[in-house]
Amino acid sequence: MSEFVFATGQYESGDWDSAPLVPANLIDSLAKYTSLPVAPTGAIVALASDDLFRFPLVYLTGHLPVRFTEAERANVRRFADRGGMLFVDDHNHDIDGAFHKTAVEELGRAVGKLTQLANTHPLYSSFFKFPDGPPNTAHELNGWGDNLVHSHLLAAMRGDRIAVLYSNKDYSSEWGYHPDNKRFLSIDNTKFGVNVIVYALTR
Amino acid sequence: MRPLERVLRTRRALATAIATRAALWATATTLTVGALATIASRRTGRLDGFAPWLIAAVIGGIVLVVLLMPWRRLTVPRVALWIEERVPRLEYALVTAVDPAAERAPTTALLEQQIARVSWTAETRRAVSRAVAWPALATIAAFGALLLAQRVAFARSASAPDGTVSATSTASRDVASPFARLSATVRAPAYAGGRVLRVESPASIVALVGSSVTFDAPGAGAGVTADVGGQTLAVQPTSGWRVALTVGDRPTLVRFRHASGERIVALEPRADSVPTVRLLEPSRDTVMRVARGALSLSAETHDDIGLASGAFEYIVSSGEGESFQFRSGTLGTRQYSGAANGTLAASLALDALNLKPGDMVHLRAVARDGNSVSGPGVGASETRVLRVARAGEYDSIAVEGAPPPEADKSMISERMLIMMTEALDRRRPTLARETLMSESRAIGRDQTRLRKRVGDIIFARLGNNPSGEEGRDPDDDPASADTSVRADSASRDAARRAATRAGRPAREIAAADSADSARAALLRAASAATGNGDEILDFEGDETPVVAINRPLLEAYNAMWEASRELDQGETARALPPMRRALAAIQRARQAERIYLRGKAPTVVVDLARVRLTGKDTGAASTRVPRQPVDPGAARRAERLAAAIELASRTPAAAIDSLVLLRVESLDAAPRLAAAIADALDAMRNGRDATTLLARARRVADGTVRGAGRLGAWSGVW
Repeated sequence: MSEFVFATGQYESGDWDSAPLVPANLIDSLAKYTSLPVAPTGAIVALASDDLFRFPLVYLTGHLPVRFTEAERANVRRFADRGGMLFVDDHNHDIDGAFHKTAVEELGRAVGKLTQLANTHPLYSSFFKFPDGPPNTAHELNGWGDNLVHSHLLAAMRGDRIAVLYSNKDYSSEWGYHPDNKRFLSIDNTKFGVNVIVYALTR
Repeated sequence: MRPLERVLRTRRALATAIATRAALWATATTLTVGALATIASRRTGRLDGFAPWLIAAVIGGIVLVVLLMPWRRLTVPRVALWIEERVPRLEYALVTAVDPAAERAPTTALLEQQIARVSWTAETRRAVSRAVAWPALATIAAFGALLLAQRVAFARSASAPDGTVSATSTASRDVASPFARLSATVRAPAYAGGRVLRVESPASIVALVGSSVTFDAPGAGAGVTADVGGQTLAVQPTSGWRVALTVGDRPTLVRFRHASGERIVALEPRADSVPTVRLLEPSRDTVMRVARGALSLSAETHDDIGLASGAFEYIVSSGEGESFQFRSGTLGTRQYSGAANGTLAASLALDALNLKPGDMVHLRAVARDGNSVSGPGVGASETRVLRVARAGEYDSIAVEGAPPPEADKSMISERMLIMMTEALDRRRPTLARETLMSESRAIGRDQTRLRKRVGDIIFARLGNNPSGEEGRDPDDDPASADTSVRADSASRDAARRAATRAGRPAREIAAADSADSARAALLRAASAATGNGDEILDFEGDETPVVAINRPLLEAYNAMWEASRELDQGETARALPPMRRALAAIQRARQAERIYLRGKAPTVVVDLARVRLTGKDTGAASTRVPRQPVDPGAARRAERLAAAIELASRTPAAAIDSLVLLRVESLDAAPRLAAAIADALDAMRNGRDATTLLARARRVADGTVRGAGRLGAWSGVW
């Protein structure tokens, strides 16, 4: 079995590389909690590239408005149709949804309308149990950003499988720290990331 | 005055006397009780602080209240009777007159006439004096008793068994001994000026090393012996007796012994500090390409006693590898003749040193003090190194500072250009044509520079080389600029896309490509962006956000172009509208962009073996090591201090001697303890309460962590 490589999606517009420490942090958690073979560093893959199809899970984030090129849009559509999972997280917690509006619109054009994912979805029990749905982030609880605690994630489904998982909970900020600093947290806040990866690899 | 009024006046006098007497008795009682309570508390130690005086105040208050009670009985009839009793001549006329029942009697006038003939002021005055005299005397006596009690209590506190420590000076107990009037004369060494200091009844003497100390005392000195550090000192007969010695470099004790007792004096040597030297010039190390000219040297020096001389020292090292040669020398030597502060100045001729590439000159300033006893003390500044660069290392040497920016290259903002143009336009009617043209073209050149800068920004965003055509100075030949330009494919594509969206004919697009000019491409894009083309620009198609975000700048670029053209023709009024459009476009561009600054993210490689705890185990649990045992001397010092404190409660004088001994022995090994003991000694010698200071000394003595020399039986390797 080949090892899992955590891939970060690169797109033409916006700042796709705004959370550079998230991959390492999730790789660290995956290694810590599971026995899945995992590469020690992540990879960067252009959405318009055919390399996109080499990765089962692609993480996408940013602050700025998202505008896919035709090639990116087509590739994302094919990626979702062919079994890949795109995990998109809105990295904003201080502006009013610039990424959210454009990304949802682009993803809608690429893979179809995003709908609320039930909090009882198997994603929330694929490894760790999250009976209340997606865990809240510190930014939500501190009242930053839109001053809302988003109770659900959005998803575009292919059958009963999540093809695109969309979060505006700003996990990119929540998980954006060096994995060595995880020891200072009383509760590891990256456990949901393990669920996302395990779900992507097992469905 | 009517009889009733006179009686009331008498009543006021009597009331005042009663109040005064009560206050005086109360004060006397308070002072007396307070004095007695103070003595008692000192003896028993059961009361302390304000408690005795609180008791005294309560008792005094009770006395005051009791003695004020007669005040209530001072009614008018009673006062009248009191007066009748002392002045029989009134024959009860007064009592009758003040009786309210007799107020309207026909005899009232007669009674008042009879009363008016009699005076009782003297009787009243005598009564008041008698009432106040004794309490006043009692108060004075009580105050005297209080002072006496304080002295008694103070004297007893020296031998109080309660742990509080204070004592009079050592000298006061030696009235009968030959050391009672011991004095010391300290003469500083000659190099320090030979200053003489006389100390009466010395307990400790602080003096420079090498100072001569002479102890003198009256009397025959028979039976007196003296020693210092185990060596006997000669007791010389003079008009009294004398012992002389020289202060060494270590703290020591001088013991005077006699059948009547012993006297200890501590000698604390003060070391002469070495001079401090600060090199002012050169201020830092330097690398030179060529060692030529003269190098200015300056330094300042200071010494606590006095400087003798100072100079600059240099060492020249030449060569490389294992072959080095050294030359040294001094310059700028100066004599100070004992001054405490001084300066050094000299000039080092680099030519004369014949320095070659790779040679180094080490420079420092040196000063010597006049210490002829233990010195001389030599102080030196930090060393500066001047190095002559080798030919192969010029690229690593930063010799020249950055040149100042060229004035004509500086940028003026669009807003400033508008203000200048508006001002010129207002002055236009008063200016000659040539002046107007000159100033207008000057503004136009600045406008062109700013346009060039905007063009650079646009090019950079489009991924082109900003130093292309628009990177050239506007004063350069435009023709040569056009021919020297190379616009890469990206800029042409951008221009083509913009032109295509603007609905340009295909032949125009081809012409744009064939022109191969970035300026043309940029202008076309700018023209399209500002809607100067025939069609409205639509960025919704396949245009990238990079071009979209440049749209306001393209508009500004175009407006600037138009403005500079008008300014070149001296048309200031016609130049202003495009300039304002350019400013508005720049503002829009500034507001449109939201920049997220961040540094290059680190590449984190997760150590999977470590995370999964599958790495190679190379560590081992540490074993306990015995703690370094505390200095046994510290324990002894602490014990001796405790013993001295214990002794202080019984015989303070002996405790003082013990503390002096301990202090001298602690000066080197435990200076903090020595300082703490010195404070306590000072308090004890001056009769102050030294309890707190001795407690502090004990904390200092016990402050170190104690550990046994070995581990306990329970401990061991895990």
